[in-house]
Amino acid sequence: MIARLAVVALLAFMTVPTVVVIAVSFNPTAILSFPPSGLSLRWYANVVAYPQFRRAAVNSLLVTAAAAALALPAGTLAALALERGRLRGRSVWAAMLLSPLVVPGVAAGLGFLILAAGLGLLRSRSVLVAAHVALVLPFVVRSVWVSVRNLDPVLERAAASLGATPWRVFRRVTLPLLRPGLFAGLLFAVVVSLNEFVVSLFISNRVTEILPVAMFTYVVNYTDPTIAALSSLFIVVTFLVVWLADRYLNLAGVFLRP
Amino acid sequence: MTPTVVELRGCTRDYGPVRAVDALDLAVQEGECLALLGPSGCGKTTTLNLIAGFVPPTAGRILIDGADVTDRPPHLRGLGVVFQSYALFPHLSVRENVAFGLRERRLPAAEIERRVGDALELVRLERAGRQRPAELSGGMQQRVALARALVYRPRVLLLDEPLAALDRKLREGMRDELRAIQRSVGITTIFVTHDQAEALGLSDRIAVMHRGRIEQLGAPREIYERPATRFVADFIGASTVLRGRAVAADRVTVAGATLVVTSGRPLAVGADVELAIRPERVRLSTGPGDNVLEARIEGLVYQGAQTDMTARLSDGQRVLLSVREPAPAQLAAGQTVRMHLPPDAFMVLMGEPSSPR
Amino acid sequence: MKLLLLPALVVLAVFAAALAALFRWSLLEFVPGSLQTGGLTLANLRGVLAPQYLGAIRDTVVLSALTTVLTLVAAYPVAYALARTPSRRVRSAILVLTLAPFFTGAIVRTYAWVLVLGNTVLAWPVPMLFTERGVLVGLVHFSMPTMILVLAAALSHIDPVYERAAASLGASPARVFRRVTLPLSMPGIVSGGLIVFAWTLSAFPTPELLGGGRVKMIANVVKDLGLDSFNWPGAAAFAMLALALTLALLTALGRLAAGRPS
Repeated sequence: MIARLAVVALLAFMTVPTVVVIAVSFNPTAILSFPPSGLSLRWYANVVAYPQFRRAAVNSLLVTAAAAALALPAGTLAALALERGRLRGRSVWAAMLLSPLVVPGVAAGLGFLILAAGLGLLRSRSVLVAAHVALVLPFVVRSVWVSVRNLDPVLERAAASLGATPWRVFRRVTLPLLRPGLFAGLLFAVVVSLNEFVVSLFISNRVTEILPVAMFTYVVNYTDPTIAALSSLFIVVTFLVVWLADRYLNLAGVFLRP
Repeated sequence: MTPTVVELRGCTRDYGPVRAVDALDLAVQEGECLALLGPSGCGKTTTLNLIAGFVPPTAGRILIDGADVTDRPPHLRGLGVVFQSYALFPHLSVRENVAFGLRERRLPAAEIERRVGDALELVRLERAGRQRPAELSGGMQQRVALARALVYRPRVLLLDEPLAALDRKLREGMRDELRAIQRSVGITTIFVTHDQAEALGLSDRIAVMHRGRIEQLGAPREIYERPATRFVADFIGASTVLRGRAVAADRVTVAGATLVVTSGRPLAVGADVELAIRPERVRLSTGPGDNVLEARIEGLVYQGAQTDMTARLSDGQRVLLSVREPAPAQLAAGQTVRMHLPPDAFMVLMGEPSSPR
Repeated sequence: MKLLLLPALVVLAVFAAALAALFRWSLLEFVPGSLQTGGLTLANLRGVLAPQYLGAIRDTVVLSALTTVLTLVAAYPVAYALARTPSRRVRSAILVLTLAPFFTGAIVRTYAWVLVLGNTVLAWPVPMLFTERGVLVGLVHFSMPTMILVLAAALSHIDPVYERAAASLGASPARVFRRVTLPLSMPGIVSGGLIVFAWTLSAFPTPELLGGGRVKMIANVVKDLGLDSFNWPGAAAFAMLALALTLALLTALGRLAAGRPS
């Protein structure tokens, strides 16, 4: 009984900040207060109206789309190679592919900054995209690898025996069966990239910065609830995505043994 | 009159719409070894879990030594349990496993050492004390599990399919060892099994269970020779079931012949009767006589010590018979044989009449 | 077959180039006021251990250790519930609540704590925002999802029959936990602890926003030196320190995982 209360209390601890943010976002005045003294959408309007947020949102979408578009095929091919390739030292290759997860954000961020400066690319988004692809790749590889492991090679052999060329086998048998892993990989890639902050802080400027960096700059300089409104939008979208993913992709199965 | 150690009164256990145990009454006597026997799904494991306290009854009470323990959690019931998978703690050595219950009872260290040593001696594993469970064979693991459950002298020992996980060769040896240990320690024991050989060979009494209820409770010989219901007759050993009509209190016509049946229960004249008889009681007969039926051999299976045969009567019913080798005559399929069915070998069946075989 | 790895390896090569640049610049001499550098020198690496920075390093280690311990204690009950609950709906609920903060992004989560720890929501008896206490709360909150998932995975590998066996032998639920569940979940505790510790050593947004300039961890020093003072060599040296600590811890984790029989 006490245990059950403790669990509820802890889950509340994890959730309370979220609730507060959403509540504050509706506050009619600029003075942060909780509970909010009324209901107002002015901060949401402010989010949409603030030009830097608009620009940053566009940047986010561009960078994330590019990163996902590059990471998904690269990661899928890598996952196939890892599982089917009969590589010597497979665990070493796997560790390398997963290594960006391990590097501290400030180290990667500063490294990319120095690299970009050296190549004269400080004003371009290409460094951002390159960094995002590297950061997102491990998630894609992991997700797709699980699917590849569950894919019985006998199905592909059956397709070949029925006359399908390797490319057709890939398109008509392999890819469709990898769909859950691809979907999960895409999900992770998008969510991680959209929320990526530390590395992006180092390598972006006012023109190229993505949304989390713009939010950071705003929070450091202003104290009104605009960020609460933007955060609430983030939270709602994320919750929905995670809930749907659990419902249709069985997230529990990914993390726990059945 | 030996006292009752474990008693279940009207115990029912539901899992949603499924009734695993149905208003069960059971009284287990001091020192006896009782088997809960039945096919999977009959409720025997659930009954064991009810006694152990792992699962609460939906209705009914459970008593140990006359005290109502229905609401008592498992760690306060003073029982010893040997699980089917043995459940030896992988992070503890054999000695530490066996000492576990003693440590919970806060016995002094020297006493624990002594008792663990005695328990390991009892199961002949004195030298395995420092090993980890993963290093032991299945048979050894089971003996450790037994020692662990017995070392603190519980009131009752519960065993879940004790011989199921052992390979055939080990099974008989382990069965005899279990029997010997149970007798020498004198502990009241209840075990669950789906294997009738296990139940017949190990227990003082057998409770044959079916669909959550006890179909028959009695000594092994009684269960085997005098099954009370069709289910018990079907489940225990093989038997032929013959349908006929009673023409007198002790006479039944089957396939045109009249058989004398001295089962002790007077039959209702004119009633349809089902008789069961064990294959090994059917004798090959040389000439005509009482209780002789003719049949055509359909199949023979040589088994070394005996040959099992199926034969068909004139009215189409099948008879199973077992003839000891060397057989008195050369037998082949298609031959006609005469079978003598002794009057006292019949079991009159209660329960739903079967569909024609 | 190795060709299939090529695209991914290209990406990794770019990443490796960035880290190589970092390494190289940690060894170059800083010329104040410009982004030019002098020759090779160990001054930056020695500078890491200068007195004004040692405080940050010590604070980082202490905060990370405290975070790890507190997160462990807080995450265990939730992880146990997640691993053992028979109800699919409860499990889904816990999982969604655990994963969602994971995906909501560092800024949003940290900002939420800025709101809660500032005196807008509750009047705190002691100041929370811009103190080490506040940063600790934020760091624990940040680490909970990871720890819960690692612990839950470890716990789900423990056959519940062991807990039943212990109960049948006379152990109360608390004793069952202490003598059976806890020891058997130790590999998960160690893994989770090392991962959280390594991650927290390099934490940035939490101390940056919740520390308000008064609480400096290693990552904050990197940002100060790199983005504010333009002392890229100095920042690089600190970043290498963070990288080295992380790698050391994860190597230890790898050794433990390999040494354990599965």
